[in-house]
Amino acid sequence: MSSHLINFALLERVVRDLPGDALNAVRENALAAFSQSEFPDQRQEDWKYTNLAPAAKLSNAWLRECSAASSPQPISALLQEQIDQTVAKVPARWVVIANGIVAAKSLRYLAAHEPAGLAVRSAAESAHLPGVVTEDVMSRFNAALMRDVLHIKVAANQAIDEPIGILIVDDASDETSVTQSRIVIELEENSRASFIELHLTAGDNEQFANGVCNMRLARGAKACYVRLQERGLQQYQVNRLTAQLERDSELKHAAFDLGGALIRNDIDIAIREPGACVELLGLYLASGRQHIDNHTRVDHCVGPATSREEYRGILNDRARCVFNGKAIVHAGADGTDAQQSNHNLLLSDRAEINTKPELEIYADDVKCSHGATVGQLDAKALFYLRSRGLDESEAARALTRAFAETIVERTPVPEVRPYIQAIVDRKLQSLIEGEAA
Amino acid sequence: MLEIRDLHVRIGTADILTGLTLTVNAGEVHAIMGPNGSGKSTLAQVIAGHEDYQVTGGSVNFLGRNLLELEPEERARLGLFLGFQYPVEIPGVNNAYLLKAALNARRKERGETEIDAFEFLQLAREKMKLLDMDPALLNRSVNEGFSGGEKKRNEILQMAVLEPILAILDETDSGLDIDALKAVSKGVNAMRHPDRAIILVTHYQRLLGYVEPDFVHVLSKGQIVRSGDKSLAIQLEEKGYDWIREAATG
Repeated sequence: MSSHLINFALLERVVRDLPGDALNAVRENALAAFSQSEFPDQRQEDWKYTNLAPAAKLSNAWLRECSAASSPQPISALLQEQIDQTVAKVPARWVVIANGIVAAKSLRYLAAHEPAGLAVRSAAESAHLPGVVTEDVMSRFNAALMRDVLHIKVAANQAIDEPIGILIVDDASDETSVTQSRIVIELEENSRASFIELHLTAGDNEQFANGVCNMRLARGAKACYVRLQERGLQQYQVNRLTAQLERDSELKHAAFDLGGALIRNDIDIAIREPGACVELLGLYLASGRQHIDNHTRVDHCVGPATSREEYRGILNDRARCVFNGKAIVHAGADGTDAQQSNHNLLLSDRAEINTKPELEIYADDVKCSHGATVGQLDAKALFYLRSRGLDESEAARALTRAFAETIVERTPVPEVRPYIQAIVDRKLQSLIEGEAA
Repeated sequence: MLEIRDLHVRIGTADILTGLTLTVNAGEVHAIMGPNGSGKSTLAQVIAGHEDYQVTGGSVNFLGRNLLELEPEERARLGLFLGFQYPVEIPGVNNAYLLKAALNARRKERGETEIDAFEFLQLAREKMKLLDMDPALLNRSVNEGFSGGEKKRNEILQMAVLEPILAILDETDSGLDIDALKAVSKGVNAMRHPDRAIILVTHYQRLLGYVEPDFVHVLSKGQIVRSGDKSLAIQLEEKGYDWIREAATG
């Protein structure tokens, strides 16, 4: 097997040219593993509806100009402005990953105000390097080119009140770029914390951001996590979250995808011990020619444990979206309770949704359900609202907002909810006005 | 105020209205009665602008404007109100939001400023009290989980807040118990005004005992076959619709 879409010789040269640091061994191993794996293409079942070729092409072009890779881009004034504006809007303890590097300034600020039990470090500052997961090809690509790791650790029995904000921002103002971000989060026994992971791009050039977050929730740990993606319409993103859940731990996750040209998110949850509980919520709003693909997988290795999933999407114009939610109940995982649903509103007859909730059950005593719906705005409700004097777009906005609200109101990190509501409203407005606007 | 001339309406391949003529003036209350399938609800929906109905002939004038050229929302803003036979449940859309948005659309048309939040709340509460409505319904989703009576009261509440020039109430009395019927009637009577016209579309005479019409029209097979004063409604109650049908054909 070969990763033929990426020019491996170029990649190898760039990886070898990177300045030697603590991540050398990780990169070498990832490079070797990458060489043995196939880059995603549409012949693979998991990538049937999503074509990553534009991101591969951009990566090859970027690798060819390897000077960009050997010296990381400094934070430009524009980028800094974007960072400052964003962090001011959401009350959280922010740390910034700019162009794949943990911004030293944000880290210093955070270190000076770190509450008891919280440690936020970059790779350079970490006493020992956290384990990074490289089980799939894009995580390997990420690790091979990795420049930094954001390592967050919450100590046992500690509850961190203020959300931890992770702003992943990439500069596409002057030239095209390819960036890798990596987060490792460890929640020790009975700890609690909430997280906001926000993805942005400054500038309008083509950009490919490949991000990975690896989480481990130890016994009794509870995490609330919101991932919010507002990239520009020239930008590609591949993102993966892996989470290992130990006994009685709980993860509440919500994913919001509003921007981007080509977006693929994977969530990969492994319930390793009984009593764990997972909630996965998602909202994607796509217009123009946006492509947003959400793949989630929950492995119920043991029971009893609960997983709940609800993703919703609103599509207009020629947007294409993909939902694939898989729950695998392994042999012996009795007492599993797994529910999945995916609901879609298509506002245009050229919009396309490929939805596939999947259940694979190898245990006997389980409670599982899944369902998907695809529909249009309710004509009766539209007429009713218009007969009261609301114009068509206002009526459509009220109905789409109500549809999205189901997810927004359950955002597990309440501090970010007003921000999400505002950007969802803005996106819905432009979405309803359609391509002509 | 409303001039309907020789109106022909089709839905799909079925001709529902086949030459309906009706004039309604300011200050009048008209009742349109008729058996099921006579075209009563079609008339109400066409006047409100439902796009499933195809107007194949005739004209509808409202305040000197060709109503058929206007979008449903434009008609509403001019002061037309349709009380739905089956009010639509809209999960996630707040009742107060709708009421306020509807009122502001109407105010904007009249060149008035938007109502402020406090003033709006006072107005809504006052009208709800008149209709004996639970104030909590204001903060619920539009009609979602409302009982039949609550839905109809909600329609009357919207009418009361919007103060239309012409209100068409489509089977507002159907499915109401006596208390709800009284509350709804009270709401309708409170709307009677020399500048306003009301059209009650109804199957039964029951409502007309509480809201006295100036004119009663009987609709059969898409046309008005008889018009009279309120005594016509009483005759209908006694003799049934067959009497009219026979008289019309015979």
